[in-house]
Amino acid sequence: MTGPRGVGIGWRPEIAGFVAELPGLQFVEVIAEAVPTAGPPPDALVELRQRGVTVVPHGVRLSLGGAEPVEPARVAHLAAVAELLAAPLVSEHIAFVRAGGVEAGHLLPLPRTREAVDAVCANVARAQAELPVPIALEPIAALFDWPDDELDEAAFLSEILARTDALLLLDIANVHANARNRGTDPLALLDRLPLERVAYLHVAGGAEQGGFYHDTHTDPVPPPVLELLAELCARRRPPAVLLERDGHYPPAAELRAELDAVAAATGFPLVT
Amino acid sequence: MMEPAANFDTWGVPSRTFLILYLLAAVVLVIGTLIHRRRTLAGRSAPSADQLNPQQVAYLNGGDDLAVWSSVSSLRSQGLIGVQPTGALIAEGALPPGATPLDRAVHHAAGQHYPARQLRRTEWVARALDELRDGLARHDLLVGPDRRAALRLGSLLLAALVALGVARIAAGLANDRPVWYLVLIVGGLAVLTTILFVRVPRRTRAAQDALLGLRHRNRHLAPAAKPAYTVYGAAGLAMAVALYGTASLWALDPTFAQQADIQREAMAAGGSSSTAGGYGGDSTSDSGGGGCGSGGGGGCGGGGCGG
Amino acid sequence: MSALPAGDPNATDHRPSTPDAHRPADGSLASRQAALVAALVAGGPPPPGFAPAPLAAARAALLRKRAGEVARHWPLLAAALGPSWPATFMAWAGDRPTGGGLRDGWDLARALQARRALPALGADELAVREATFRYDADEPPRRRRSPAVGRAGGAVAVQLAGRVRLIRPAR
Repeated sequence: MTGPRGVGIGWRPEIAGFVAELPGLQFVEVIAEAVPTAGPPPDALVELRQRGVTVVPHGVRLSLGGAEPVEPARVAHLAAVAELLAAPLVSEHIAFVRAGGVEAGHLLPLPRTREAVDAVCANVARAQAELPVPIALEPIAALFDWPDDELDEAAFLSEILARTDALLLLDIANVHANARNRGTDPLALLDRLPLERVAYLHVAGGAEQGGFYHDTHTDPVPPPVLELLAELCARRRPPAVLLERDGHYPPAAELRAELDAVAAATGFPLVT
Repeated sequence: MMEPAANFDTWGVPSRTFLILYLLAAVVLVIGTLIHRRRTLAGRSAPSADQLNPQQVAYLNGGDDLAVWSSVSSLRSQGLIGVQPTGALIAEGALPPGATPLDRAVHHAAGQHYPARQLRRTEWVARALDELRDGLARHDLLVGPDRRAALRLGSLLLAALVALGVARIAAGLANDRPVWYLVLIVGGLAVLTTILFVRVPRRTRAAQDALLGLRHRNRHLAPAAKPAYTVYGAAGLAMAVALYGTASLWALDPTFAQQADIQREAMAAGGSSSTAGGYGGDSTSDSGGGGCGSGGGGGCGGGGCGG
Repeated sequence: MSALPAGDPNATDHRPSTPDAHRPADGSLASRQAALVAALVAGGPPPPGFAPAPLAAARAALLRKRAGEVARHWPLLAAALGPSWPATFMAWAGDRPTGGGLRDGWDLARALQARRALPALGADELAVREATFRYDADEPPRRRRSPAVGRAGGAVAVQLAGRVRLIRPAR
């Protein structure tokens, strides 16, 4: 099955009208937990499908990085959404969102230990057994690191991807954020990742606050992130890139300009 | 109909004959009236829905008031009007060239510090609303007062028939004749006549269809979808208010709506699951948001606390 | 949350009676993750070895994001508090794990009402919600099926057959 192609945008009900009117749009990503599986899918998504737009379900609460086995009901839901929307693949995160019976309400980084690698791989395998399509894993941005990491990020991710044979959803904004906050070189990380596994990219906005770069998804995409995006595409252009925006939406013209900027940085055709 | 042992017919017309003739007349008149009504209310020469601007849509949906609110919302989202703590409006800045007469009138009234609820009665605004209404009537979207009067007149014929039937019943009672069938028929006719007289719609069928079509095309603007009004701009907000009522303005700018004392519930119409106007977000589902994402699940890339 | 389909895996309605009940005491991945989550959202102590500044920044960022999510569900309350919304929310939510935006806002609104700090618009919003849904703090909110009156800080809302009207706004 062919995966996503070209420039896409994260579908959100708040901007559904805007997304529906993008003439060159080829794919969107939808939060899997927001799609009900009892009954028909939201008709905005049905209309996109009828136009031939690929829809990729993106899970956020499976907690694949958790020590506990992933809940079968959550995997089943993700699988059901994939079938409902005829998706070519699904995506989730290398992170955990709950532990000790408490919901963190956010994606949290894993310690980069062998034990964590085993836990993630086990959960991904459990999920893959029930999913009808391939899964792409997204590394997250973290403001902090665990104190006793055994592996660096590139080794950690590469091992997980190799053992699970999963695809990679590479979030360029996260790469930038981590590099900024750790004081490392983002290109050095990119050069060590298995770029041939990239199914698509994420790009999003963020802001500096309190000495840290926060990947907020509610700000415009800053120039360094666009530059990093261009650098990556110069090395090995992935099939697709998705603009993620979750709130504080600007006027439509600005959003279109941002999509154009992403298209320019990657060399993909314009969607506006 | 049983033939009583009476020895004469009321008015010289046998009961059966009268009944048959009366029934015939009733059927012909009712069908004729209904056909005439249907034709008058069709709105055949009405323009299509996409040619309507938000204020016209607002007027069709909710009359004078909603048209004013739609204009106020549009001006507010462009930063052209504000409100003082006393509730008096203020005008800020100059209108762009494409402003409608209603926009100009509302902006002018705001400059004179009228409160929002009195806008409708100011001279310019009232005149602009009249123009809006007349334009819509001319375009066969609203049923003008003269046509409504004509429709009511049509049901007068039916009323005359009812009167005839009542007279026959009275005469029949006086002559001690059975009148039950006639009572039934006249009763039914009277009910129908009353309904046709009282229920004369404001909008033509073309306008109803246009509104339905617009609500379907603009369902992303429904308050339940929590639309990002900034994306859709002033025109989007004006259309949202026109189709879904002031809840949209309350969602976008609640402090302005409260200080200006904007009516809270206006036309929570057509399928929106909003509760009282102004209280969008009655959904209990944290639509995928709760876990790692704000709203539509953001923070996915925001990952590790990068929110 | 009552509006989700049956068996929905997305309900975040379980709150442990004590956070420690689920936390194994060893140095396993599970226990370390639990300790971190507790430190970030439940007012727990910072686990050993973590640099304090990034952890604090993460905690604050999580709270800010939560505040934004709650504001989506309670726009009038957030607008009424204006610039003090983030601080008000974050001070209240600091060591309470999230139950989702709707419940967080509801709990906060009730807490503000209890200390008479609920602004008028927030009271209106709370009254309408109370009339529309039944919510006791331990279960997710459920839509009311019978007519109900919601009161909050002077505002009164009446719900009948799914339609709600604010009959007296708070002032």
